[in-house]
Amino acid sequence: MKKNRTFNRKKMLVIFGCATVLILGLVGRLVYLMIFDAEYYQEKAQDLHEREREIKAARGEILDRTGTVLASNKSVCTVSVIHSQLEEPEAVIQMLVQELGLSEEEVRKKVEKVSSMERIETNVDKETGDRIREYGLAGVKVDEDYRRYYPFDSLASHVLGFTGGDNQGIIGLEVKYEEWLKGENGRILTVTDARGVELEDVAEDRVEPVAGDTLQISLDYTIQEYAWQAAEKVMEEKQADAVSILIMNPQNGEIYACVSVPEFDLNDPFTLNTGENTEGMDEEEKQELLNQMWRNPCVSDTYEPGSVFKVFTASAALEEGVVALDDTFYCPGYRIVEDRKIRCARVTGHGQETFVEAVQNSCNPAFIDIGARLGVDGFYEYLNQYGLLEKTGIDLPGEASTIMHQKENVGQVELATMSFGQSFQVTPVQMAATFSALINGGRRVTPHFGVAVYSPEGEKIETFTYEKGEQIVSERTSQYMREILESVVAEGGGNRAYIEGYRIGGKTATSQTLPRSANKYISSFVGFAPSDDPQVLGMCIIDNPQGVYYGGTIAAPVIREIFENILPYMGLKKSQ
Amino acid sequence: MDELPEKDRKGRMDYTLLLIVLGLVFIGLVILYSTSAYNGEVKFHDAFYYLKKQVFATILGLAVMFLTANVDYHFWQKFAVAGYLAALALSVAVLLFGDEYNGSRRWLSFGPFSFQPSEFSKVALILFLAWLVSRNVEKIGQMRTLCKIMFWILPVVALVGTSNLSTAIIILGIGVVLIFVASPKYGQFLAMGAAGVAFLGVFLAMESYRLERLAIWRNPEQYEKGYQTLQGLYAIGSGGLFGRGLGNSVQKLGFVPEAQNDMIFSIICEELGLVGASFIVLLFLLLIWRFFLAATRCRDLFGALLASGAMAHIMIQVILNIAVVTNTIPNTGITLPFVSYGGTSVVFLLAEMGLVLSVSNC
Repeated sequence: MKKNRTFNRKKMLVIFGCATVLILGLVGRLVYLMIFDAEYYQEKAQDLHEREREIKAARGEILDRTGTVLASNKSVCTVSVIHSQLEEPEAVIQMLVQELGLSEEEVRKKVEKVSSMERIETNVDKETGDRIREYGLAGVKVDEDYRRYYPFDSLASHVLGFTGGDNQGIIGLEVKYEEWLKGENGRILTVTDARGVELEDVAEDRVEPVAGDTLQISLDYTIQEYAWQAAEKVMEEKQADAVSILIMNPQNGEIYACVSVPEFDLNDPFTLNTGENTEGMDEEEKQELLNQMWRNPCVSDTYEPGSVFKVFTASAALEEGVVALDDTFYCPGYRIVEDRKIRCARVTGHGQETFVEAVQNSCNPAFIDIGARLGVDGFYEYLNQYGLLEKTGIDLPGEASTIMHQKENVGQVELATMSFGQSFQVTPVQMAATFSALINGGRRVTPHFGVAVYSPEGEKIETFTYEKGEQIVSERTSQYMREILESVVAEGGGNRAYIEGYRIGGKTATSQTLPRSANKYISSFVGFAPSDDPQVLGMCIIDNPQGVYYGGTIAAPVIREIFENILPYMGLKKSQ
Repeated sequence: MDELPEKDRKGRMDYTLLLIVLGLVFIGLVILYSTSAYNGEVKFHDAFYYLKKQVFATILGLAVMFLTANVDYHFWQKFAVAGYLAALALSVAVLLFGDEYNGSRRWLSFGPFSFQPSEFSKVALILFLAWLVSRNVEKIGQMRTLCKIMFWILPVVALVGTSNLSTAIIILGIGVVLIFVASPKYGQFLAMGAAGVAFLGVFLAMESYRLERLAIWRNPEQYEKGYQTLQGLYAIGSGGLFGRGLGNSVQKLGFVPEAQNDMIFSIICEELGLVGASFIVLLFLLLIWRFFLAATRCRDLFGALLASGAMAHIMIQVILNIAVVTNTIPNTGITLPFVSYGGTSVVFLLAEMGLVLSVSNC
């Protein structure tokens, strides 16, 4: 038998020593990994394990000036099935078919699909969601969230806009005030295994959603409703393509109503309001039609303002001092400018007339003369000064720019047509804003809706201020314009806007749309009251009316009808 | 110790060693259940699938251990050569008829039982080398003898190494340790160590996939194949000081692939924390210390070498396993003794423990 000698034992000690050193080294490595590097790996591991489910935040409401809710939220539910937790698949299928009104085939396919979580139906109303929850079937999950809801369906649809699947604003004020309205989505963090199955006994981490802020706008539900009805009525009567009505405060730019009929249903914004069947249409074509429907013509479309624009020419000439109120003009029914014969609306001519009468008569030859007195340079100086070459800055997305001749290309003919509002295009809201400035004492205003923002608890967080803009004409010119425009309604072409007991000013317009050969017209009227201290300005634009198309005949009565209703509502008393 | 009278040495088995072994086996089973329940449920719809098989093997292993512990270890000398030949034969058989699993051909099936010959080879080689070295101990200092002994080891290393590189390294390591212990010299082992390192360098450079392993080791986050390593690190890092608590690992839920196998130590870290993991590591160190005591207390060289072989075996396997799991060295598949899932492994490990207990009894 070989002996185990001392040197053998020494060698064993060497081996054991090595083992001890190495093992203690590894313990050191563990200390390093589990204490100093722990945070890094823990974070990585947590990212890997956690599944995030969003809890939609309630979007802020939109209130009108009186506090009426125009856009709100509806609790809706999302019904899903977690395959691995199902105990009675047949009962679940039967229940879902019955409660959700889906086909059995469809439900069966989703329930029997092996996935971590299968969504059966979204936007299920709350009562149905609650009923499904009460069945208490294992593996059926009912998650609550919010969907935007518009209590008045189509009211002010182009202004308010609507939201998409993630409750994000898509058009209108919903986009413009997204940052205030959206709130912050919450999260439910659940731990899952590598297959994505949620672990039941691990506590959920919940980050509560923060509701969006409430937006108060200057729109007045009652005025909007009146204006909307009036627009619908005239569109029907005149078989027009579209009718737009703007009611605003000419002093500060607050818009009380902005109607563009046909409106569309905000609770169903993806269905065409024309009743046209979109099935079988290709996606692009359908989207084109939807975009057309969503477009706000008051802001995003331009038109030839026609005679309403004479207010601009007249005030600029007065301000510049190139005309006086008692200057006289002669209208033979036309004016020859260079090689063109430009006709007056009254073919027989207005004969001898004063400046004020020329405005009352909306006489083109007189305005050609007035425009010529300003000259191209003077005309453009005032276009610029009035802010007509820029956007108004209204708080709606997609505002269009003015389409104007390049100054270098303007000859006498162009100047003549521009003098009475033709051969260029502006947006209705630009026209209304400029008109406001000319009658409010001469200060430019920013047309707007947004007034204030309140926290969900009702505390005022922000008041939007819109500074009164530049003085674009003198107070005196503005006063002359108010007087002249009151006489237009009292004695001139705007007499159909006259309301007994109210001092109303205004200007009519009828312009032929391009191409002229199509014989299509836009009739419009801009009115304001009371004419000595304007508190409200109304504008009505009728696109392609059939039959009589004179603005004074068809658009002025629309504003009169609205004013008859809203002036008492606004607390403006009849003068004796 | 040598002076103790003959009578006292009899019947004094190292009960501390036995206790440590039983403790490790028990802790191993608890951890195995915790780690494998999810995989068992997912793959076999039976959370106890892995535990049941392991418990069966453990019972068999304990029986074998008590048997060998109570037999004088000199009895096995007669089977040293036979065991060696059997190891060779089984290694050949597994290459020809073995079952493939996860891309490696490592199992032989006998009806419902499957058997991993490489686990047997380790024990057989310890026995064979202890016998061979103690027979040649007079001339062990000579290079010729060294080469002769290595000549016997290499066929087994080569055969096992074709399918299971890690086990081949362990066998080689055991061989080197046994010769080192038997030899009075030191210098030639330094030379051998240098030669080994050089050989390893050439070996790695020969195949690009081995170099890739090195690259993955340096930066596991940048390689898809670093997934397992990275998941192990996530588990270890998630443990912190006291861990998530037994049974609460999330990484075992499919994130660490086959968590009950090589990477089981990472789950120990996640569930029991630094404290629990260090406790288990120190338990292994205690085990090795008892092996060392058994080896030094044994009067004859054969017994001492048996105990030294077992010590080398356990220490190499534990150190390599933990080093791999903590990404201290590049990834290679080595199981953690008594804890990782594997029936053959636990049976032969316990048989080996029986041998050492018998040595401690001399």
